[in-house]
Amino acid sequence: MKYIKIYFSCLHTAFSRAATYRANFILGNFITLLSNIIFPLVTVLIYANGAKFPDWNMWEVLLIQSVFSMSTGAASMFCGSILWVTMDHIREGSFETVLLKPIPTLFYIVAANFDPESIGLFLGGLVMTVISALKTGVSGAENILSFLLLFLSGLAVISGMYLIMAAISFKWVGNSRIPEIFDSIKSFGKYPLGIFPRSIQVLSSLIVPVAVIGFFPASALLGRPHRTAFISVIPCFLFFAMGIWIYDRMIKMYEGVGG
Amino acid sequence: MSVAIKAENLVKSYKTYKRGSGFKETVKSFFKREAVTVSAVDDISFEIERGTVCGILGPNGAGKSTTIKMLCGALFPTSGSIDVMGFSPARDRKKYVRKIGAVFGQKSQLIWDIPPVDSFAMNKAIYGIADEDYKKRLGEMTELFDVGEIIYKPTRVLSLGERMKCEFIMAMLHSPEIVFLDEPTIGLDVIAKNKIRDVVSEMNRKGTTFILTTHDLEDVEQLADNVIIINHGKKVFDDTLSSLKNTLGSKKIISLTLSKPYEGSSIGGAEIISRNSEVDISLEVDTSRQEITDFLKSLTSHVDFRDISVKELPMDMIITRIYTENQ
Amino acid sequence: MNYLKHKLEECKAVAFVTYKEWSAYRTHSLVSVFVGPVYFIVQYFIWTAVYGGSGTLGGMELEQTICYFGVSALIGYLTMDFADWNLQMLVRTGKFLTFTLRPMHHRFFALSQKIGHRVLGFFFEFLPCFLIFLFAFRIDIIPKEMLWTVISVALAFLMNFYVNYCLGMTAFYLVQAGGVRVVYQLLAQIFSGALIPLSFFPAVVQKIMMFLPFQYTNYITAMVWTGNNSIGEMGLTIPQAVLYQTVAVIITGLLSEVLYRTSIKRFTAVGA
Repeated sequence: MKYIKIYFSCLHTAFSRAATYRANFILGNFITLLSNIIFPLVTVLIYANGAKFPDWNMWEVLLIQSVFSMSTGAASMFCGSILWVTMDHIREGSFETVLLKPIPTLFYIVAANFDPESIGLFLGGLVMTVISALKTGVSGAENILSFLLLFLSGLAVISGMYLIMAAISFKWVGNSRIPEIFDSIKSFGKYPLGIFPRSIQVLSSLIVPVAVIGFFPASALLGRPHRTAFISVIPCFLFFAMGIWIYDRMIKMYEGVGG
Repeated sequence: MSVAIKAENLVKSYKTYKRGSGFKETVKSFFKREAVTVSAVDDISFEIERGTVCGILGPNGAGKSTTIKMLCGALFPTSGSIDVMGFSPARDRKKYVRKIGAVFGQKSQLIWDIPPVDSFAMNKAIYGIADEDYKKRLGEMTELFDVGEIIYKPTRVLSLGERMKCEFIMAMLHSPEIVFLDEPTIGLDVIAKNKIRDVVSEMNRKGTTFILTTHDLEDVEQLADNVIIINHGKKVFDDTLSSLKNTLGSKKIISLTLSKPYEGSSIGGAEIISRNSEVDISLEVDTSRQEITDFLKSLTSHVDFRDISVKELPMDMIITRIYTENQ
Repeated sequence: MNYLKHKLEECKAVAFVTYKEWSAYRTHSLVSVFVGPVYFIVQYFIWTAVYGGSGTLGGMELEQTICYFGVSALIGYLTMDFADWNLQMLVRTGKFLTFTLRPMHHRFFALSQKIGHRVLGFFFEFLPCFLIFLFAFRIDIIPKEMLWTVISVALAFLMNFYVNYCLGMTAFYLVQAGGVRVVYQLLAQIFSGALIPLSFFPAVVQKIMMFLPFQYTNYITAMVWTGNNSIGEMGLTIPQAVLYQTVAVIITGLLSEVLYRTSIKRFTAVGA
C-alpha cells in the first residue's frame, strides 16, 4: 500500500514536470510516435507492390506490428528509464544517491522515472492495433483474454531486457549504443514467425522470447495462436526474473566496490 | 612604449524582441513584435600598451565579455573602431587570429578523451608551427607550468587546475603577441591560481601583452598594470592599479573589539560601516581629512576597546564603490 | 602548392586527433558488428518470404534486394556522421566562439574530424561486417563497378556531411534546433533508402526524391554498388546516377557555404 502511494506521487511529479515543458513534451511525443509508425510503411509498400508474407494479409501483418509498437511504448513508459537513469548515474558516478533512498533501489528508479514521453508511442500503437483489429474482424472473448495474457508476457520480456541492458551498463560504462543490440534482437518479434527457420523460431519463442512482444499476442487475437505461444509465457517471466536478478547482483557488486 | 590595442567609441547593441509571459501576449508577439535595442557596450574608448597586463573588471552583464569578444574578433562592433597591431579584428579575423591567443575559463579547447599533447599537436598543424619552434615552445611552457608528465594523460582524468594549465599552453603554443584571458582562474584552488599568475607575469616580462577579465580581484592586484572598469556598458575607470587604490582617497578600515556595547553610528568622526556583534565593529577613516594619530586619540577618549586592527580598504570595497557611484 | 600542403597537414592532424579520441570507444563500434548482421538476417528472411518465388519486386530481383540491404548498411558505416549534432552543441554552449578564434574554417575542421572518425568506422564497423557478409553469409557484396562505387561512396560521404552541417547551422537561428534535426532524421530514415529501396515507392514519390537530398546519401550509392544499371522509375544508368549525385553534392556544398557566411555574419553580428 505504501508503495502504491509512493508510485502515484512519483507519477504525479512526472506529469507536472511534463506539463511545465508542454511544448517539448508534445513535440517529443509526436516525434517518437512518427518515427515508430513509419516502420509499418515497409509492410504497406510490400503489399502495394503485389507481394505478401505467405498466409498473412496486410492488416494481419500490420496488427502484429501495431501490437509490437504498443508493447514497446508501454514498457518504455513504465520502465524504459531504468536503462538511461542507471547509465547516467554510473557514468557520473552518482549511483550512491539512488542507494541512499529508504526504499528498494529498483522500485525507486522505476517509480521516480516514469516516462510520459512514451505515451505517444503507446497510444499510437493502441490506435493502430484497434484499426487493424477492426479490419481483420477480431472477435471472441477468449481470443481477447489470451491476447491480454500474451501481451503482459511481452511486457515482461521487454522489461527484462531493460534490466539486463541496465546491468550491462554497470560494466560497459558510457556505451549509449547498448539498446541497439536489443532493438535488433527484438525485431524478430515484428514479423510472422513462420518466415524464419526452425532454429530462430525456437530461439525467439523459448530462449529470448521476443516473439511474445508482437507476433504471439497478435496471432492469438486473430484466433489462430501459434502452438508454442502459451508455453512461452513461462520463459517470458523467467526472463524477467533473470533481469531482476542480474540487476540486483550488479547493485550488490557496485556496493561492494564502493564500500 | 607603443600602443597594442586602440579602441575608439566602441558600441555594441543588440536588438531583442519583447516577449510577453502570458498566453495572449505570446500569441500577440507572434504577429507583432516590439523591438528593443539594448546596448551591451556603449561608447567605450581606451588604449592598451604593448607589454602590459590590462585587467577589465565589471559586474556580471556589464559588457566585459562583449568587449573582449570584439577585441578577439569574434564579434563585429556596431560602431566605433578597434585597431590591434594594425588589424581590425573582426574584419581581418583570419589573419588576425594567428597573432593572438585566447583562454576562456569556461570554454575548453582541449579534447576531452585524449591527452593534451595530442590537442597541442593538432594546433601545431592548424597554426602551421614549425617543428623546432613547437618543440622549444612546448618544452618551455611545460617547464613553466610544471606539467611535464600531465600532458601525456587523458584530459578527462586531469584536475581542473591541470586542465587550465594545459588550456594556457594550447593558447600560447604559437607564440601570440597578445593573449586574451576570460575568467582564467575561475574555480581553481589557491596553488593552481598562483602558478598560473606566476606564468602570466613571467610571459609578460618576456614581452607578451595580456588582456584579462576576471571576477577574482586578486588576479588583478597581482598581475595588472592597468585597470579598466566597465559598468552598464560604460567605462567608469581607466588608469593604473595604484591610482585605482587611491581613487577613493586614503581610507583605512579599523576593526575594534569593544569592552562594552556602543550604540551610536559614528565614533570620533569615523563612521561605523559594519557590526559583527554588539562589541565587534568596523570603522572607516579617511586619512586625508584626519590624521590617523588624531583619530586614535579621539577614539581612546570615546570608547574602551580590547583589540584593534588597522587595514587598507579592500579591493572589493573599492570596486563596489566605483560601481555604485556610477549607477 | 604550399597552401594545399598546409591544408593537408591540418586535415591529417585533426583527423588523427579525432581517430585517437574515438579510439577510446572502439568497443562501442563492436555493437555494429553484432547489430548489422542481425538486422541483415531479419531482412534476409523477410524478403525471401515476401518474394516467395515471384521474379521481381520494385524492379529488383531477390538477390539484388538482399544484397541491397547489406550494402546499404555498409554505406552507413562509411558515411555516417554527426556534424549536425556537434555543431548545434557548439553553438548552443557558446563553444563555437573558440573556433572563430582559430585560423581554420570550422567546416573544414568538422570534415577532417569526420574523416578521422570514419577511418575508425572503416576498421571497426565496415571491415568486420563486410567480411561477415562476404564469407559467413556468402553474399555477392563486392562492387560490380569498383571505380563508380568508390566515387559514389565518396559523394555520399560528402553529401551526408554537407546536409548535416547545414542542419547544424540552424542552431544559429533557432533555439529548438534539435527539433529540425530529428524531423530531418525521420524523413531520411524513410527516404534515404535505408528502410526499403526507393524503387518500391510509387513513381511520383521517386520523381520527387530526385530533387531532395535524402536518396543521394544512401539509395543511389547502394544501387551503384550492387551494379544496378537501371535505377528506379527513371531507369538511371550508373554514370547518370553518379552525375546526379555530383550535382546534388555541389548544390548542397554551395548551400552550406551561403548558410555559413550568413551564419557567421549573424554570429559575429556584422553591422547589426
